[in-house]
Amino acid sequence: MRVMIVDDEDLARDIVREYLASYPGFEIVGESSNGFDAVQAISELQPDLLFLDVQMPKLNGFEVLSLLDVRPKIIFVTAYDSYAIKAFEVNAVDYLLKPFSRERFGQALMRVTGTDAAAAHDDIDTLIRSNRLPAAPVERILVRDGTRVHVIPAESVDHIEAQDDYVTIYAAGKKYLKLERLSDLETSLDNRRFVRIHRSHLVNIERLVRLETYAKDSRIVILTDGTKLPVSRSGYEKLKGLL
Amino acid sequence: MHPILKDRRALALYLLAWLGPGLTLAVLLVTTVKAPWSGALFFSLPVTIVYAFMSLSAWYVCRAFPLPGTDIAKTLLSVLIAAVLSSGLWLAACYGWASGLQRMEPGLAPGERYADAVPLLASFGVGLFLIAAAVHYLIASQEAARRIERNALELQVLARDAELKALRAQIDPHFLFNSLNSISALTSSDPPAARTMTLMLADFLRMGMNYGALEMISLEQEMAMVRHFLEIERVRFGNRLTVRFDLDEGTQQVRVPPLLLQPLVENAVNHGIAQIPGGGLVHVFAENDGASLRLTVRNPADPDRVRPRAGGIGLHIVRQRLERMYGGEGRLDVQESAGEFLATITIPHHT
Repeated sequence: MRVMIVDDEDLARDIVREYLASYPGFEIVGESSNGFDAVQAISELQPDLLFLDVQMPKLNGFEVLSLLDVRPKIIFVTAYDSYAIKAFEVNAVDYLLKPFSRERFGQALMRVTGTDAAAAHDDIDTLIRSNRLPAAPVERILVRDGTRVHVIPAESVDHIEAQDDYVTIYAAGKKYLKLERLSDLETSLDNRRFVRIHRSHLVNIERLVRLETYAKDSRIVILTDGTKLPVSRSGYEKLKGLL
Repeated sequence: MHPILKDRRALALYLLAWLGPGLTLAVLLVTTVKAPWSGALFFSLPVTIVYAFMSLSAWYVCRAFPLPGTDIAKTLLSVLIAAVLSSGLWLAACYGWASGLQRMEPGLAPGERYADAVPLLASFGVGLFLIAAAVHYLIASQEAARRIERNALELQVLARDAELKALRAQIDPHFLFNSLNSISALTSSDPPAARTMTLMLADFLRMGMNYGALEMISLEQEMAMVRHFLEIERVRFGNRLTVRFDLDEGTQQVRVPPLLLQPLVENAVNHGIAQIPGGGLVHVFAENDGASLRLTVRNPADPDRVRPRAGGIGLHIVRQRLERMYGGEGRLDVQESAGEFLATITIPHHT
């Protein structure tokens, strides 16, 4: 099994490497120490298993995952237990809390090979129960453009338009194409700032200049940069509630 | 709500106390206007009970003119006017009751002598109202004292909570877990380094505990703790973290509140160095500037990093402590520009 280790601390990678050495059948094909490098290396090396830290420079572990086309199996390795719920939303195999023992590491590997699937969920459940916090809205949108990653702060986004399986993100005078459904973006962004005014349009309400009504159920909004967007009937109801 | 009306026991006691004036009034009626005993009692007891209720209105006078806070003369005058007014009203009620009795049971009425009793009743009414007012002022002052006591207790609890929170925030458990993970890695690859790290961590924790319990420590002590912290983080971050201290002469003996600089250095590492792939320099300055001491932490910062909500808890606690200890004289300034983060504490000298 081809393994990659992604952690910004040398010593933290050392310990995974050391523990893994006693398991034949696992080969370390690469290591990364930050999110940007990790996205690129994982795409090139296509490992089967990823040891992934959450808190890293540039992109955190979850952001790295969101930018991958093909996801390897994931074992999160972190000192923070507060990401457990999120880890299982992205179908992680296991969640190792630093520091961890050789035995605990072994269990995680058994989960990967499927020989210890049943036992897997006990401590996961405990972790999740102790961390019942609502997921915070995302504060930046990541767009992959070949090997480059654009980081778009949520507050700089003007509006987002749905186009088939893509969305076009308009931010600070630039356009970005991202492979994601508009409804998914809508749920992950702060709903006090972003409002779905139409089936195909999500708008940052801080950019609204005015709302014009042409006829009953025929309305448009005008944004600070002069863009005009159609407003559906339910979109109008939402705007009315917010303004 | 009226303090006597809202408590049934207090009301019963209050009415019982009014039996005294009721009986006194009967005796006075018998002795001064020669009323018959039965008539005097049948007249005086009901009207004193009525007056007991009327006198409860003294509470509103004492609410409107609270004793500390209002001019004494003004208060006395208002109470006196209220006494005369209620006494007048009461006289009317007495007259009504006297003529009613006359019609129903002439044998029990105070009779023709009611007119003779008017000056007695009027002065009795004014006097009783004044006593009632005095009692109400007493109740009000007791309530105020209780309220002050309760407020003081609440403040104490709040202060204790804030202190506990501050203490808890002092050592980030994730710093401990990450350090322990480094030690775990070093135990096999570099056992002497693992031991050194363990000892540094122990020293750091001990300093945190000892200094945290003190009111003031020397800047030298605070710096020793900061140095330990950065040494530990250097093991974790390797050559990503470099550290420099520029401490002016004469700053080392200045007295400072413990663990004031420490959170700024922690921030510099967690939100600065840890967010940059290549890391950078954490630069700590201490300068004397006239009557104040200036402590500065400078570090590189990635402008694209995910920012902590509401400016971070660490900085918030530092601000709170400065405010509490020095009022407007101590402050924390934070500025960020061109990928550099600068946090400066300014406090007055306490040597």
